[in-house]
Amino acid sequence: MSQWGFYFDPDKCIGCHACSQACTVRNDIDEGDVTWRRVEHVGEGTFPDYEEISISMGCYHCAEPECRDVCPTHALEKRAEDGIVTIEQDRCIGCNYCSYACPYGAIQFGEDGLAQKCHGCLGSGAGDGHGSPPREESETARETPACVDNCVTGALDSGPINELLRGASTAAAEEFRSDDSGPAVVLEPATGTEGVSGDDG
Amino acid sequence: MDEDERSKVRRRTFLKGAAGALSVAAAGCVDRDSGAVAHAEAAHETAYNNCWICRASCGQEVTLEDGTAVDLTGVDGHPKASAGPGAEGTLCSKGLAQLDKTYNPNRITRPYIREDGELRSAEWDEAIAYAAERLESFREEHGPEKLLRYQGYPIGGEFHDLLFRDLYGAPIQVGRKTTCHGPFSDSWEWMAGYGREWPDWRNSEYMIAWGRNPMECFRGQWEPKGIMETIEENDATLVCIDPRYTKTAEVADRWIPIEPRTDGALALAMGHVIIEEGLHDEEFIEEWTYGFDAYREAVADKTPEWAAGITDVDAETIREVAIGFAEAAPRAVAFPFTGLSFQGNGFKNCQNVHALNGLVGNIDRKGGTRHWRAGFSLTDPFEERGIDVPANHEGRPTPDYDDYPYQRHIRDLSHNAVPTAVERGDIRGFVNNWSAPLKSGNSEAWADALEAMDLVITVDAFWSGVSRRADVVFPGASTLEQPFLATGGDSAYSESGWVTASDALIEPVGDCRTDYEIYSALATELGWGEYFPWEDAVEFYDEQLSGIGRSFEDIAERSYEIVADVKYEQWREHGFDTETGKFQFDLDVVDGYAALAEETDVSTAPEWHPPDDDLYGETTDEEYPLLLTDGFVQQLSRGHCQALDDAREEYLDRFGFRYEGYDGNLLHINPSDADPRGIETGDRVRVESPDGHVELVAHVYEGVRPGWLFAVSGFGAYSLAPDEAGANMMTMNTERHVEPVSGQVDRNLPVEVSRVGGETA
Repeated sequence: MSQWGFYFDPDKCIGCHACSQACTVRNDIDEGDVTWRRVEHVGEGTFPDYEEISISMGCYHCAEPECRDVCPTHALEKRAEDGIVTIEQDRCIGCNYCSYACPYGAIQFGEDGLAQKCHGCLGSGAGDGHGSPPREESETARETPACVDNCVTGALDSGPINELLRGASTAAAEEFRSDDSGPAVVLEPATGTEGVSGDDG
Repeated sequence: MDEDERSKVRRRTFLKGAAGALSVAAAGCVDRDSGAVAHAEAAHETAYNNCWICRASCGQEVTLEDGTAVDLTGVDGHPKASAGPGAEGTLCSKGLAQLDKTYNPNRITRPYIREDGELRSAEWDEAIAYAAERLESFREEHGPEKLLRYQGYPIGGEFHDLLFRDLYGAPIQVGRKTTCHGPFSDSWEWMAGYGREWPDWRNSEYMIAWGRNPMECFRGQWEPKGIMETIEENDATLVCIDPRYTKTAEVADRWIPIEPRTDGALALAMGHVIIEEGLHDEEFIEEWTYGFDAYREAVADKTPEWAAGITDVDAETIREVAIGFAEAAPRAVAFPFTGLSFQGNGFKNCQNVHALNGLVGNIDRKGGTRHWRAGFSLTDPFEERGIDVPANHEGRPTPDYDDYPYQRHIRDLSHNAVPTAVERGDIRGFVNNWSAPLKSGNSEAWADALEAMDLVITVDAFWSGVSRRADVVFPGASTLEQPFLATGGDSAYSESGWVTASDALIEPVGDCRTDYEIYSALATELGWGEYFPWEDAVEFYDEQLSGIGRSFEDIAERSYEIVADVKYEQWREHGFDTETGKFQFDLDVVDGYAALAEETDVSTAPEWHPPDDDLYGETTDEEYPLLLTDGFVQQLSRGHCQALDDAREEYLDRFGFRYEGYDGNLLHINPSDADPRGIETGDRVRVESPDGHVELVAHVYEGVRPGWLFAVSGFGAYSLAPDEAGANMMTMNTERHVEPVSGQVDRNLPVEVSRVGGETA
């Protein structure tokens, strides 16, 4: 299996929410409280030694997804072909176990009471991604997930993890390898604004 | 369809159904040009268009499904939507939210006319006939000079001006310079002969975003992309001067949260350092500038230590930034915008910042400021057809407002002077195109003025304080629904002029019509049909493009085309377009400004003007100890975004309020101001000024300067936000809140804040 995943560089992220809005439009999410991707703005420090970082978050399609493990009806699947975690909504009973288990808040429930989340824009339009064909090793532009496709500054990327690792910094690649049983996301370390230490909190 | 499938029917299906139902409702009363909609028939295709959510005209690629727009992204290589040749195009979050505007269930989709004091829907023919009759009787009773023009987001702006200015003869409009950027653009025009210079970000090595937030508010995606690229590839430095920790501050090397309204003092001290260090561009100053001696004298005693006491920026920081900026020059830029132009002392603050660019000789040079031009001209379709358009507005009597000093030299009427003009009987009517004046200045007086006017006509998409007060409301089409053409100008292509165009991609929703259709129908009814001989705007744009050997279809099919070369240092060929032909540090040669300066006893050269409770803005005191400014964030534009659920939710989500059941704007307040007042995040608070009060919800955090409050504009009374949620700070703005040189609305208000109890949810 070639694990497909995301890459994120917080230093490049300008916290603009184009990723989350693109996700909402492409996947036709029309319930205000439901967001498959969201941007968190984390502030630290006291004025004037204050700084923020912006983090774009969605489902990380974990290597060993806890959501899948707790699902009593086996509605969640870790796909063998590309490692994308999908939800078979016909099997979902709306018990919420998966959302309790997910450390990232990736799983949402709409008015229909069924679990939904990022499926890496498998296919296009609404749907839970279940049963969609596997991703190609190299993706064409239109197959790129909406969030990546519309990232203004190239802070977000997606693709086979091995390809993402090749384009990442050594620090990011090493951090990923030390945790390669977890989320399928290659994260660049964040650096701060001059004169502001992130350690001081 | 089984039960499960039915439960999955989501927005797209609803929208399709809703649009279809509206179209059926309109059938028979609309004579639409079906030829303009080239792509409506086939399912699942993509086509190019231009985003007009903030007027930046970013090229966008739209996915259509059975004639309904369902997805969007930017056009690769587009001058506005990308970082340049071969680069990926994107849209910002508010651009991506625009389908929520086009298909919004609250959108005005039929014409309305006022009958017996009430607005009622009308057929197009009836609405056009009604508007024409009202315009004719207005002209007979008052004369066309008493009709005020106002344009915000016009797609067919030239047709609006043709009808109301040239033909009807209304000479006066409210200029954007008095609601947005007057102190910035007037000062630059007088100094450098060019109205709105804009940075050549992509090639810059030292960028000072000064009261300017280019990561969030921009004239296209090329700005944030260009800045990030030059930071990465050229190791460029970005400095953010702003009392608010914006996303520009987040990516900047240095955030300088200056004491608000002291920018002019900081700029003078930087000039002092640059001259002291011998880092100014002597050759440029000698050959291409005027008034340097006056400038040198003005900064001679303005040491960093002097400025530190005023600006709360330490002297060492001032030195470092000044030297960094000057050493990187000419690939350096100090660029002010609304943060400074919203200030009562904004003119001098902007003049002082602009002077830094002259001092280091970065004007219209690679990586400096840029005097952007298209470098080509479009054909005049009227001339082509031998149509002699009258100038019926010329020679009309216009009010002489000697008691408003800025009105002696600004071209248009200041926004905040309009209510008085109505009171004096100089303005009796108003034609508006996609603008929202009730959130641009003295809102309460404006609302009363609209009520007092004899005739108000507006083209718009949502019910606002203006459209609710109108006598005629025409439902305008969005760029997805009508042809579009733009040329430029500032973009990712530093040395090129370009054209971008797009055709309508979808049928206008409901009974909406294109700008050309609206204005040509009204002109025909008024007897001026001969001046609108084109079948539609496509034909008009086609004739415009013929002069550069292109057709509208050519450009629309490929979204954009690079047309001309535009060199740097254009002043070498023609000089600066100023009185002296040079860059002017000293404005003593600009008659209008010199007269004003003499009257107000100020220098025509750069100078420090603190807020003074007289001319240059109001100061805080014991009763109103906090300074409030409103402005913008990335997720919402100045236009219609407050009406869009998606855009509003992204804005509220940014500050942790998506799930709080609140649709309004937030008051950002530092804990050191909130704590003594017992205010916590989520509390409803009352903001009180000497001129009124508003209520909204507090967001307490360290990202705003103590003593200073920030709120996003465009909410509250008269706005498009659901139930007018939140607060319109401009309800506390009055006629006297005006920058005295440009007539620009001063958006800095001394206030007090208190907790009123109750929480958001």
